[in-house]
Amino acid sequence: MTGVIYEDASCVYPGAERPAVDKLNLDIQDGEFLVLVGPSGCGKSTSLRMLAGLEEVTAGTIRIGERDVTHLPPKDRDIAMVFQNYALYPHMTVAENMGFALKIAGVPKTEIRQKVEDAAKLLELTEYLGRKPKALSGGQRQRVAMGRAIVREPKVFLMDEPLSNLDAKLRVQTRTQIASLQRRLGITTVYVTHDQVEAMTMGDRVAVLKDGLLQQCDTPRHMYEKPANVFVAGFIGSPAMNLIEAPIVEGGVAFDGTVVPVDRDSLGQASSRGESSVTLGVRPESFDLTSDGTGIAVIVNVVEELGADAFAYGTAKVGGGDVDVIVRVDARNTPAKGETLHFLPKPGETHIFSTVSGDRLSQ
Amino acid sequence: MSATTASWSSVREPGAPTGGRGNRDKPKKWGNPATYFVALLFIAVCIAPVLYIVVGGFRTNSQITTSPAGLPRPWVTGNYLNVLSSNTFWGEFANSTIVALASTIGIVVLGLMVSFVIARYDFKLKGAMYSLFAAGLMFPLVIAITPLYIMIKDLGLVDSLFGVIVPQIAFGLPTTVIILVPFLRAIPKEIEEAAAIDGASRLGFFFRMVLPLSGPGVVTVGILAFIGSWNNYVLPLYILDSQANFTLPLGVQAFSSQYSEDTAKVLAFTSLAMLPALIFFSVFEKRIVGGLTGAVKG
Repeated sequence: MTGVIYEDASCVYPGAERPAVDKLNLDIQDGEFLVLVGPSGCGKSTSLRMLAGLEEVTAGTIRIGERDVTHLPPKDRDIAMVFQNYALYPHMTVAENMGFALKIAGVPKTEIRQKVEDAAKLLELTEYLGRKPKALSGGQRQRVAMGRAIVREPKVFLMDEPLSNLDAKLRVQTRTQIASLQRRLGITTVYVTHDQVEAMTMGDRVAVLKDGLLQQCDTPRHMYEKPANVFVAGFIGSPAMNLIEAPIVEGGVAFDGTVVPVDRDSLGQASSRGESSVTLGVRPESFDLTSDGTGIAVIVNVVEELGADAFAYGTAKVGGGDVDVIVRVDARNTPAKGETLHFLPKPGETHIFSTVSGDRLSQ
Repeated sequence: MSATTASWSSVREPGAPTGGRGNRDKPKKWGNPATYFVALLFIAVCIAPVLYIVVGGFRTNSQITTSPAGLPRPWVTGNYLNVLSSNTFWGEFANSTIVALASTIGIVVLGLMVSFVIARYDFKLKGAMYSLFAAGLMFPLVIAITPLYIMIKDLGLVDSLFGVIVPQIAFGLPTTVIILVPFLRAIPKEIEEAAAIDGASRLGFFFRMVLPLSGPGVVTVGILAFIGSWNNYVLPLYILDSQANFTLPLGVQAFSSQYSEDTAKVLAFTSLAMLPALIFFSVFEKRIVGGLTGAVKG
């Protein structure tokens, strides 16, 4: 049992007013792949570095398995980390890089060689074992960094944006490789990224952070379907969810010329708090095109064709003002620029958030 | 950063035009004669005295008087052989070597330690400490020679090689620290963190990462220290009294006053005394420049 537990873990940088990580609570299961995601400066890397022992935990505790590691130095935590720029030791060969931790730990040479060779085979690095990092390509360096982590057989893998320095195609390829490798090894992994696609595709669970605060920690599917607040709703998913502030009226929320029916309970919650409007969230694919002229009128500005999908970027009118709306449309039958189309959200696929607090109101 | 360089180099195809007018493969033409004239002039100014001394050692005194600028005719090796077979020369040579090596080791070891702390630890007055070492550059040994002599005397190190070595280490540190601190700072922070996670302590990081990675910088400061010590004249002049402890520069001085009539022999002695430093410098010259400009690439 080697899960990782953050209990009210906080980190305040000296001289900073606001904590970089504020009372983080996470319970990561044994063998789980957890992705920390968020915009830059949200504290995701700091959270990881706190677990690594590279940043001081100013309050709270962090446990790996049963062991409290809050104030242990990095070397006593039995972790391995992959850095964004790989941090390979430039004066050592690939084999020496991968075996360094074992060498320090005093493992016999033959055993080190065996383990390094096994890891190299797994990562297809065998022919590069004698090379220096300088003589490797970006993707190969990335694999060496992975190998260095694997060879140690640590309790936890920490990965700090390990794919950011790769080109787009290689990134997608490596993404799958890392995920499958992790499943095969079954080692608890904490992975930091700013790319929500990476988060959604790789993680067993995804934790979204913003301004040092945990917004939501859930499975990718669940997070997509039930974002806990406006921030998560807007952050997860590409293109982003439409988030439109609209006044509450009888039976739904009002757009100019139409009323979009939404869940009564959530509207009731909002009005009981004295709020006269809510934020309606609808994913681009949750709109139905209506042919009879009912629904929200959207004037199409741009159409993005991606092959399988097409997205229409348009404007709708709410309370006399323009709001931007993104709608997924039929890729074989795209609307023309300037055309006015009418859409209605699919029933049960609307999200209602409080305009004041940003919290989710609908179930 | 390094990944992009790798992809750049792979993009360039062999035989692809390298830009410009494509005349790079043609044999280089002779440039402006004026450039050569000026260059040769400077080279002559630099080399002529050295050459005169070295060649002068191959002449007899009468040759020097009759034709001071001509080549020796015949070449006489007696002066050199005479010097090489003398105990004085080898004694002084040994003293110089001991002093230079000890100073170099002291400067490099202590300088590296100081630089490591200043470059990679965070503590109060770090900037002040760096400035203090830098300020040492503005404080030449010659100015401090009298108080220094008193201190050495109090330490009982007068007429001892240690009396030369210790101050040389002290006065060699500023240059070393100034060269090495930026060098060590350039080692990426992530490498230190990766080493920490891999189980290296701070000292382990110093010995396993910093030492091998700072190689070029260490070579540079080592050579500068060695040559500086080899050529140092003022300090040994004050500290060393007995001929048995003389270093080569003092030996040259003593020899030339002792054999002031035998110019050829003095020239031979002088050239033998300065050759090691000269050879040392020309062999390592490239690495000195490399160490001054190079940083660690991850």
